[in-house]
Amino acid sequence: MRTGRGGDRLVHGLLLLLLAVYSIFPIYMVTIESLKTVDEDVFGNPFYVAHPNFDWYAGLFDKEEWISSGGVTRHPVPFLVWTGNTLIVFSATLVVILTASLAAAYALARLRLPGWRWWRRGLLATFLIPQTLLFLPFYHFVYRLGLDDSMGALVLVYPMLAIPFCVWLLSAYFQKLSSDIEDSAYIEGANRFTAFMRIILPMSRPVIIAAGLFALGVISSDFILAGTFLPNTWHQTIAVGLATMDVSLEDLTVVSGVSLGGLPVLVISALLASTYVRGLTAAMIEGA
Amino acid sequence: MESRIRARRRREILAAYLLLAPAALLVFGVLAFPFGWEVWVSLTDSFVQRTSTAFIGLANYAELLRDPSFWRAAANTLGYLVISTTLKLAAGVGIALLLARPFPGRPIVFIAVFLPWAYPGGLAYVGWYWFLIPPLHSAFSTFFSDIRWALDTALGYGTWAFISLILFNIWRGGSFVGIFLLAALNGIPEDLFDYAALEVKSAWRKFWLVTVPLLRPFLALAAFLSVTSAVADLGNVWMQSGQRDVYPIVWTQAFHLAIIGGEWGQAAAESLILLPALVVILLICFRLFEPLEEDPT
Repeated sequence: MRTGRGGDRLVHGLLLLLLAVYSIFPIYMVTIESLKTVDEDVFGNPFYVAHPNFDWYAGLFDKEEWISSGGVTRHPVPFLVWTGNTLIVFSATLVVILTASLAAAYALARLRLPGWRWWRRGLLATFLIPQTLLFLPFYHFVYRLGLDDSMGALVLVYPMLAIPFCVWLLSAYFQKLSSDIEDSAYIEGANRFTAFMRIILPMSRPVIIAAGLFALGVISSDFILAGTFLPNTWHQTIAVGLATMDVSLEDLTVVSGVSLGGLPVLVISALLASTYVRGLTAAMIEGA
Repeated sequence: MESRIRARRRREILAAYLLLAPAALLVFGVLAFPFGWEVWVSLTDSFVQRTSTAFIGLANYAELLRDPSFWRAAANTLGYLVISTTLKLAAGVGIALLLARPFPGRPIVFIAVFLPWAYPGGLAYVGWYWFLIPPLHSAFSTFFSDIRWALDTALGYGTWAFISLILFNIWRGGSFVGIFLLAALNGIPEDLFDYAALEVKSAWRKFWLVTVPLLRPFLALAAFLSVTSAVADLGNVWMQSGQRDVYPIVWTQAFHLAIIGGEWGQAAAESLILLPALVVILLICFRLFEPLEEDPT
């Protein structure tokens, strides 16, 4: 450590630069591809865009139900509708996941439900069930409930993808809080619920954010379930909608869709990434 | 007094069950029918065009075990999981150690590293499909098309699809593991590292004798999550691209058997057959990471 400090730092810096480039590179490639004209896409330099234009993005916002051009009728790209659907599904699912996980975590960690450890193990064990074929019976299940082609199906089914880990995370954190924390509130005459809402919930903010981001990450990677439950173009989420589209040399609209859909993620990540890490640390090691 | 305490505890337990109920229903309740269906179907000769199905016990499983193509798929599965998990953990440890040291501009690199995992997987799959295994030629994809055809010609159609999938999985999962381990490193008191470091001189030995043991529970949890996500990634991608592959793994083979072949019974058996092995992995992981949940005593 004493010798070659400068060299050390140089290597460290270079590695970090490499890491940043490696992390961003695929996203960067999608972004510049979406800004290219057809000519530039085929003949230009792959690694940068010389004449950026937003034509493909405009293609995402066509209003007509069917588009005919040059004798070819093609699907419209109701990107705004998909965005709306995605927002509805994701926020509803997130509310369900966090509420259910908080309640369960409290029951397991603070109320010490008999067999709490086994409940938690059992929940995590459901991650092992291979999802490969589950979408077949899931469709059946959803159909019986009258939820096929409805976003409600996703809100019902998505939580199982995230709840087990969210419960684990939140309950690990709750367990590390000492009981004194609530006791002072009881002395003041508060009941358990008020003590939870006023004291435990506010101090768990980073952990809740970590659980929420994890849940978002998991549900935004789903593809199979959303694709199975939502056959109708106008009811789809962004990911499924884009996947039904085709890319061709003359049409890069889908690339711009990917790029645009990723944009909110940039914002969310920039805002919450460090809280996410703080929440994980608090849950896994530190407690309060 | 005694009885009042007991009555209070009983009320508490009742409340606890009520609070647990929504989560338990959303997980076990929602999974019960599909999972039960899958188990049941795996015990029948269900075929998509046959109206009547007969219970045939474990015949589907027995047939799989006799089938050499299943064993090939099982070997591929093992390879896929071991390779991708090892590389993800390695990438993750590297990322976490790099980011743990303070340096100017750390917040920016940190957010960059956060992105591969945070970037919506659903979108990334679309990007993966059009970029890494391009079906068409453009300035960018020429490069990858060349790689693809070179590898596919040498090793069989679908090779590059399989490799690119592993790369994709590592890109996404490595970022998740890295951030996860960074959170762990942030929480482990630095003294622990310092004391231990007094004992060992070489950086390599320090890594294996100090860093890895301290991170062990977190590595176990990350490995568990990464194995399950590796399986999910694969399913998603195959769903989209409908690849015919020369390197089938157990679950994609099952997928094909069901969707293309219509052999639901066999397909269900194949997708469930590795469950016991996965349970063993889970139990090992529990042993390794449950100390994290002990009470702070």
